[in-house]
Amino acid sequence: MMRKTTRRTMRNLAALALILTAGTALAHGPTPQKVSQTVTIRAKPDAVWKVVGDFGGIAAWHPDVAKAEWTGGNAEGATRKVTLKSGGTLVEGLDEWKGPEHTYTYRMSDPDLTALPVSSYSATLTVTPDGDGSKVEWMGRFYRGDTGNEPPENLSDAAGREAMDRYFGDGLKGLKAQVEGGPTQ
Amino acid sequence: MTGRVRLLALLVLLSAGPAAAGGVSVVSQQGARVTRIEAGGAAGAVAVPRAPAAVAADAGGRLYLSHPDGRAVSVVSPDGGVRPLSLAAQPFGIAAEPDGSRIYVGDWSGNRVLALSADGAVLGEARTGPDPAHLVLGPPGRLYVAEREGRSVGVIDTGTMRRVGGFPVGDGPFALAYDPARGRLYVANVRSDDVTAIDTRAGRVLATVPAGASPYGIAVTPDGARVIVSDQHAAKVSVIDAQSLAVTATVPVGPYPEGVAISGGFAYVANWFSDDVSVIDLATGRETRRIPVAEGPRGLATAPDAPEASR
Repeated sequence: MMRKTTRRTMRNLAALALILTAGTALAHGPTPQKVSQTVTIRAKPDAVWKVVGDFGGIAAWHPDVAKAEWTGGNAEGATRKVTLKSGGTLVEGLDEWKGPEHTYTYRMSDPDLTALPVSSYSATLTVTPDGDGSKVEWMGRFYRGDTGNEPPENLSDAAGREAMDRYFGDGLKGLKAQVEGGPTQ
Repeated sequence: MTGRVRLLALLVLLSAGPAAAGGVSVVSQQGARVTRIEAGGAAGAVAVPRAPAAVAADAGGRLYLSHPDGRAVSVVSPDGGVRPLSLAAQPFGIAAEPDGSRIYVGDWSGNRVLALSADGAVLGEARTGPDPAHLVLGPPGRLYVAEREGRSVGVIDTGTMRRVGGFPVGDGPFALAYDPARGRLYVANVRSDDVTAIDTRAGRVLATVPAGASPYGIAVTPDGARVIVSDQHAAKVSVIDAQSLAVTATVPVGPYPEGVAISGGFAYVANWFSDDVSVIDLATGRETRRIPVAEGPRGLATAPDAPEASR
């Protein structure tokens, strides 16, 4: 309990320090990291896309998302403001949406280290046929929360990888449950 | 090409080390390797210090790598020897004088560009706009730096190591290419999704060319006729016609393409996510093959001895 509190305090302090150094938080650091998660779903790609395809519809299937405000439909430049259940907000812009090909690509607009300990990311979600069902791949590129030379542990490459893998992994598990009709969480 | 450069090229060719004869060198950040590739495939690899990001080559075939997380620059000689030079900075963008006498290094978090001697001694420093990204040498005595958070390109006089001017560009300028024939500078703006074309002789911006999603890497053909830009968020490259300053073709490549280099009629594109390099035949505008390389390829440098070598 005490350890948890200390860790949270440290995280808040580090986040605050980063905000105070102004600009660094916005910087696109020099060492990109990969995130990639996949899931197979027992449903046709069209059925999966019906659930996951709308850029602003993420709250309907991602178990970590409390709500999403959405403007611009599925057109390039559309935005979604995703509020996480754990706190923090991800503001994301749509780069490309290809309905017939079941894929869309988006990028983070502003970092929120309380949502995800990363300073920037872009990602692509794609649904492809897999036997009688579907495979969903959610992959992306991100930069750690503190892009300086000596990041604190909670804003390091490893911390970013863990958080992004978990966020994408949770999302795909939730999507699978939603489409296959199982429990959502 | 001058006789001296020709002679040098011949010498490099004869020395037949990992950096001999044409092709390009690709730097893999996670894999910490430089892979020498030609249109036909990989032709050897050299292990280098941890997490190299950007790369530049000089006329002697030496490669200069930046290590932003390692506070270092390393020099890879044509025989594959690696010499690390430590630096109190976060080195990212890198350029080298053709004769190897000076190395220019951007300090990402220090908002400056350092000039180093061949043995790593700091000779001078120029203040830049915020977050200096890639660097490119222009006409003699001029170095350009993409100032990523300044929506600008800084112009540095390499003699005095001072920022003597700047050009306003798009949002998030990151990669640069210089066409010596026209004196043109091309700037890939990551966030505004466009390329700024600058006439450096007239000192003015010629055009802003919309270019896909997140243009991250850029190279100009040796004749200056075409500019190849990687669209990082759309897994393709855009081809810009230098005359009309418009995108005339796009070519699908691998996921998260970044650096681009041109050699011997082919464009080479580093596919960061899939750990390979797309080879595009510039005559047909088609991808001819993908060459596997070590994890996380980002930067490429053209071998200096190719007659059509470009920066």
